[in-house]
Amino acid sequence: VVDVVLASSAFDVVVSFSTLSAGMRLALPVALAALGAVVSERAGVLNLGLEGLMLSGALGGYVVADVTGSPWIGLACGLAVGGACGALLALFVVTLRANQIVTGLAFTLLAASATSYVYQKAYAIGSIPPRIERISMTPLVIITLGVLVVVLVTLRSTLAGLVISAVGETPVAADALGFRVERTRFLATIAGSALAGLGGAVLVCGPLGLFIQNVTAGRGWVALALVVFARWRPLPCVAGALLFGVCDAAQLRLQGTSTGVPYEVFLAAPYVVTLAAMVLRARDNRTPAALGVPYDRSTA
Amino acid sequence: MTVGVREAPAPPAPDAVAARWLRADRGRSIIVGVGVPVAAVVAALLLGAVLIAVEGENPVAVYVEVLRGVVVAHDGPRNTMIAATPLALMGIGLGVAYRARVFTIGAEGQYLIGAVAAVAVVTAGGLRDLPGIVLVPLGLVVAAVAGALWSAVSSFLNARFGTSIVISSLLLTYVASAFVQWAIRVGIKEPGAFIPQSRLVEHAELPEVPVLRTHLGFVLAVAVVPLVWVLLARTRAGFRIDVMGNNGSALDANEAPAARITLLVLVLAGALAGLAGFVQVAGVTGRINGEFSSGYGFTAIIVALLGRLHPLGVLVAALALSALTIGFDVAERAYDLPSALVGVLQALIVMFVVAGDALASRRTAT
Repeated sequence: VVDVVLASSAFDVVVSFSTLSAGMRLALPVALAALGAVVSERAGVLNLGLEGLMLSGALGGYVVADVTGSPWIGLACGLAVGGACGALLALFVVTLRANQIVTGLAFTLLAASATSYVYQKAYAIGSIPPRIERISMTPLVIITLGVLVVVLVTLRSTLAGLVISAVGETPVAADALGFRVERTRFLATIAGSALAGLGGAVLVCGPLGLFIQNVTAGRGWVALALVVFARWRPLPCVAGALLFGVCDAAQLRLQGTSTGVPYEVFLAAPYVVTLAAMVLRARDNRTPAALGVPYDRSTA
Repeated sequence: MTVGVREAPAPPAPDAVAARWLRADRGRSIIVGVGVPVAAVVAALLLGAVLIAVEGENPVAVYVEVLRGVVVAHDGPRNTMIAATPLALMGIGLGVAYRARVFTIGAEGQYLIGAVAAVAVVTAGGLRDLPGIVLVPLGLVVAAVAGALWSAVSSFLNARFGTSIVISSLLLTYVASAFVQWAIRVGIKEPGAFIPQSRLVEHAELPEVPVLRTHLGFVLAVAVVPLVWVLLARTRAGFRIDVMGNNGSALDANEAPAARITLLVLVLAGALAGLAGFVQVAGVTGRINGEFSSGYGFTAIIVALLGRLHPLGVLVAALALSALTIGFDVAERAYDLPSALVGVLQALIVMFVVAGDALASRRTAT
């Protein structure tokens, strides 16, 4: 039969230029969200609301870009919506010391329904939602690289970065030195959430130019997995996002063809690779020691 | 330790998350245990009333219609029980795991794997013509075993490599989802179908229960409640689960390896999630297609928490959330309301419970 080609042609699809560029397009929102997660997790706050934050940022970015006609204002709004939701999350997990897993899951559920609700209110069902003006790839790549550099430099060579890491490793010591644990975590959660919101806005204001319900389709969860894969370091996060993007692009392209390799292999690949990375590097554990543990001075 | 079992590495941080939260759970009075969820439901309904008023509808009339849809309408109680079945089954299993402070969030993956494995067996050539009395138990067993094995992977990785269960169970869910897509496109595809879907389960369809008019799965979920209750309250394993949840080092002193209890609770949670998967195929959808993955596995986490990790509480919570879904389904037809409203209400309930618990434990802690 003619339409059954060998696995080698599947390989060709994966390394072709168009797949790589599509991969980069798919990688940018995930990379931004993962960088956001690195910031808050290094401070000890496990943010399982990432998916919800991306979705909120995406809707905020889309509505504002649609109203103002400028996708750039949309991007800024995505950042702001992410930060505002981050403040709500921080109120729960830092100030109230609520369970971080539960709060994050609950927030993601809330964001999924609330964005659908707002979207259904704003755009009548059945009508075609307006396309917004799109931002081309180059500025988005520059923005992502800019964020990468800022996060990298901040975490590695500024006092703020050191305090963030200290608060995530041994909050007791940081507290004893006079750094304010709760304030640091609060701000880190807001900053990380803002980046996740920006990631969502990049998704809709970028090449897509459209919001649909659940537009993020699990990318926030991917970003969370990437942080583990990257062992809480910014640069491998972005590299991992690129790997994920290429896999995603490859499975999208392979769906239309019938090759020796099922496209589902590429769907599963990023998660299997992350699992493998966790297993292979089990001995060299870099998980922030206080990740997910609320800080309570009276019991510390 | 005299036993030749490799000692599990210290549990990684994300799994230690709820230490405080669960410890607070123990000393909590029944007032907080039941009062907070009830207050959260009331608060969410009040906020919902505001949203309905903003829509230009009368909140009281809408809520009456919701209630009518659940209680009075012909299929209301039946639909509620059917919708609650997978949530209750998965939530009960998750509740047991969370009691031991084992934080799996992979029920969705185990649900999918259980469903696919069971459908593959009951629709296999040579088996699919057997009578239902053989196929239904076969499907249930296969689904439970497959779900349990899938869940056990997290336990193995945790015991052998110290991998976080939160993260590995989540990653495995995505692998399961990719596998299901392959299965319905290639592996167990219905021959000649134009879209990816499995065969119908036909003879393996769950029988209807006479008076309730639900499928057998609901009875199964109700039957699981006392079984798990007894397991937790009256057996050595149940005691160890609670010890592990409260003070892991006490287990070591008891020479009961934590790894074995982790395996036990994950296998139980996986088996129940797998069962839920088959119950949903054989009781509701009839086959697996592209829309089968519904996020029930994630909603079940919420149900487990609302039910206070107690099997009976979980069943009540599953029925309550499902009643809202079914009731609003009816009310949306009568009034002009966005379909996303009920999701907002349910998520608000959870957020209020989280906030209420945090506030309650702050007050008791100081």
